[in-house]
Amino acid sequence: MKTKMKTAALVALGAAAAAALYLSPFGATAQNSMMMAASTDQVWDAFGGNQQAQKYSTATQITPENVKNLKRAWSIHTGDVSSGARSTTWGATPLFVNNTVYVGTPWYRIVAVEPDTGKQKWAYAAGGSDGPPENQGLKNRGVAYWAAALPEGGKACQKIVYIGTMTGELHGVDADTGKRCAGFGKNGVVDVNAWLTKNAKWKIGLIQPPAVYKDTLILGWAGNDWVYKTENPGTVYGIDARTGALKWTFNAIPPDMEDQTGTANVWASISVDPETGLAFLPTSSPSPNYYGGDRLKEMPYATATVAVKAETGEVVWSRQLVHHDIWDVDTNSAPTLVDIKKDGKVIPALIQATKMGFLFVLNRNTGEPVWPIEERPYPASDVKGEVAAKTQPYVPYPEPTIADTMPPVSKFADIVSFGQCSRWKARLRDEGRYTPPSVRGSISWPATLGGVEWGGGALDPVTNTYVVNSNVVPQIYTLVPREDANRIYGDKQRDRDGYAAQQGSAYGFKLENFLNIWGMPCWAPPYGTLSSYDMNTGKLNWKKPFGQVQKWGFYMPESWGSITIGAPAVTKGGLTFIGASMDSRVRAIDTRTGNVLWKHIVDSPAVAQPAIYTYKGKQYVVFAVGGNGILTPRLADQLVAFALPN
Amino acid sequence: MTQPHSTRGAWLIVLASLIAMAICVYDYYTPETGLIGTGGVVLVACAALLMLLASLAMAKFPNRSPLLQTFLVVSIILDIIGSSVAGYFLESPVIMAAQALALVGWLMNVIGNAADRSVETDEVEDED
Repeated sequence: MKTKMKTAALVALGAAAAAALYLSPFGATAQNSMMMAASTDQVWDAFGGNQQAQKYSTATQITPENVKNLKRAWSIHTGDVSSGARSTTWGATPLFVNNTVYVGTPWYRIVAVEPDTGKQKWAYAAGGSDGPPENQGLKNRGVAYWAAALPEGGKACQKIVYIGTMTGELHGVDADTGKRCAGFGKNGVVDVNAWLTKNAKWKIGLIQPPAVYKDTLILGWAGNDWVYKTENPGTVYGIDARTGALKWTFNAIPPDMEDQTGTANVWASISVDPETGLAFLPTSSPSPNYYGGDRLKEMPYATATVAVKAETGEVVWSRQLVHHDIWDVDTNSAPTLVDIKKDGKVIPALIQATKMGFLFVLNRNTGEPVWPIEERPYPASDVKGEVAAKTQPYVPYPEPTIADTMPPVSKFADIVSFGQCSRWKARLRDEGRYTPPSVRGSISWPATLGGVEWGGGALDPVTNTYVVNSNVVPQIYTLVPREDANRIYGDKQRDRDGYAAQQGSAYGFKLENFLNIWGMPCWAPPYGTLSSYDMNTGKLNWKKPFGQVQKWGFYMPESWGSITIGAPAVTKGGLTFIGASMDSRVRAIDTRTGNVLWKHIVDSPAVAQPAIYTYKGKQYVVFAVGGNGILTPRLADQLVAFALPN
Repeated sequence: MTQPHSTRGAWLIVLASLIAMAICVYDYYTPETGLIGTGGVVLVACAALLMLLASLAMAKFPNRSPLLQTFLVVSIILDIIGSSVAGYFLESPVIMAAQALALVGWLMNVIGNAADRSVETDEVEDED
């Protein structure tokens, strides 16, 4: 009896204290903290799972032992899909936060759904998807989420979801209601285009959601870099998360080069170290992509990883990953942050995977390499006006995801095409990595498709296991002298045969896939792999062909692997979840062995990493299934969640 | 110059072709199959249609020339082989099962036909 009374007294005291806190000036903060403390749900509140781009979930309910029982929990179709001239590309990673799953669509809508049923809570349409497609078409890679550290009770927009459009607008809406935040920009919309005044050839594409650090959004964008010599310079913006006001800018292009070149933008995601406040910007190549004769001056921030202070944009360090990039091997994924345990010390590091198949492992506070990076000599250009860099960074360790030379010609593809593949290859310039583009045609190995694609890798920060998918794809780069380009293509900016004008420079450009007359790859498989590394030692744990090629519905052997677009996510439970492959399947893989333990067909290739979360004690794995015309023509609008049966 | 041929197994092949066509239509229009809108299932559907016509001819016209009989038997087995390979690469167990069913029908027909020929020969010998 005494114990019961004591308990009742304690409960009453606790309730009174809670009420007092709620009503106090600090009530809102306290309430927020209490709610957060009460919740045991594991969130996925950023594109990369967290701001460190680790794509990691602490969820342990789904394990290698029970994953075979994984079933579809719910599936919805957003309706936002189209093909043809207004083709959609949907590589969004949903967020789970605020007890809601948020996803952006390629028609620039935010759809908020219940995490356990997929039932829609609200939807917001940013508009602008019905006009002529801008430079990148209709694309989206998701949304960003910000919550006030000290929310003001009863006021809207203390939690905001952001979506960008391919017309250069950033919209901010209340996370609970989907209503525009009047205090953000002009009635909830920031016109980012208005900030870009130099060489603005087209509206910038806000394909990738911004990174969030405290009250700052860090925003890059996508655009063209094949069409003109001087494209839009690739400015990165630091934006006030509440008001949309511009706080700072970062430019990879030196001011005195802006009449010669452009872009070097950040179109991939950005990671942030929450402890130091450093943001890590993966920058792309300058324009025009494939001829650098007009931009010979060194631009150290282009095709680089640049660390800036997230609140000011001040550059702390940078490391160029490709000198004088004439291959369009943009740095295409957010660096993944890792604390490496090496020689009894903890090294704050990052892993920058690249299209070249290298894993640059750098001290994230200084930019110094954890394992040595070599400068190796590479071939000179034979194109008039072009001067290829004499050396390029080479990362011997950890082992690159792809070999230094392209695979041999596929005998099968060669025989069935009556020797087309081998004859074609013999005509091309082929000197391995960094063979410069040429007028006769060069094999670019690896090419613009990677190597590692824009999702990057995933890290289990407990075991420091890093899992990354990689393509094995050579392509053919041919420079077309301006006179010939004008004669053949007139004033076209692009053509279906892979031509891009590079207007204003001495050469147009043609990108061709190395396929035979039947559309078969001219090189030997595998075409894609999945690899695992121990990042404490840098050792490769395993590397396996990943996915399956599917052509006309026919699945090719698993040993051939697949070209992949998208990335993995890993769990504490020992699983790696990944879509990404051409065969429209999502898979669960044993992170320890690389063995596929479960697979499921979805509506099209799931070209983004999944989100993994727990809600009311249940673990969900959610894929946005949208497809990408690079892989297959099959596009979709499916958001699908998987969970173990009750 | 026609002569009677066995119709045994022909209806089984008809059934197998219909199953193959039905699954192809389902696969072609259903996203969850992974084969939606693919040329591979169209190919198998066309092959199944040809097999259906051949097996119907086999069932409905027992009196046919040896040349036509040979054509039907050979074309059906080639169809079965081709569709089985396609079914394997489409990773469609139903298409492969339908081909197995068709193969049973084909074997029944071929064996039945051989048996009939043997009986006819015996009868001729008895008459001698």
